[in-house]
Amino acid sequence: MGKTQTVRFRPGSLIHSAYGRGEATEQFACNYGFNPRFRGKIEGGQLKVTGVGPDGELRAVEITGHPFYVATLFLPQTSSTRENPHPLIVAYLKAALAFRTSAERKL
Amino acid sequence: MLQTLRVGIIGDYNPESRYHVATDAALGHAAAALSISLTPSWIPTPSMERGPVETRLKSFDALWCSPGSPYKSMDGALQAIQFAREKGWPFVGT
Repeated sequence: MGKTQTVRFRPGSLIHSAYGRGEATEQFACNYGFNPRFRGKIEGGQLKVTGVGPDGELRAVEITGHPFYVATLFLPQTSSTRENPHPLIVAYLKAALAFRTSAERKL
Repeated sequence: MLQTLRVGIIGDYNPESRYHVATDAALGHAAAALSISLTPSWIPTPSMERGPVETRLKSFDALWCSPGSPYKSMDGALQAIQFAREKGWPFVGT
C-alpha cells in the first residue's frame, strides 16, 4: 500500500506560499517512484525542486515565471476533505480564476 | 451567480481508481471553499496524439495531469503537459 511522509517546501516557492507553512505530511501511491511524465519537464530545464522528503529526496517541482506550474510525487487529492480542502488545490484554482480573466490568456 | 471554472484532467478516467475518484472530489472541495462552480472534464490521452493539441485544450482554464500512468497514450499526455508549460496554462501534476 501507499505511504505517508513529511515533505518540506522551499521558502519563497509557490508551493510554500500555497500551504502557508514549511512542511506537510502527504500521502504517496504504492508505486510513486520515478514517473516518465516528469522526463519532459526536467529536460525543459526550467524546473526547480521546491519540495523534498526527509533525506532530501525530490518530492515536488515548479516553474518560476509561470502562472502556476507545480508537480508533486505525492497525492494531495487523497487527503482533501470538504471540511479541509487541500491548500495546494485551492491555490491552483485561485490561479485558474486569475488566469481566466487575465490578459495572458492569449488563445 | 457563481463563477465557473473549466478544469481539464489529462488522463484516462477509471471509476475503479481511488486516485481518480479522489481527484474529482478534491476539486469539488476546493471549489466549494472558494464558492465557485467547477466542471472537471477528463481528457483521454489518445485524443491529444494528433495535433494541434491547443485546439483540444484552450477552452480549459486549468489543466491537471492525473495519477495513473501508464496512460493509454504517453505521447498524448506529454503533449498536453508541454502545452501547459509553454503556453502558461495553470497546471498541476500529481
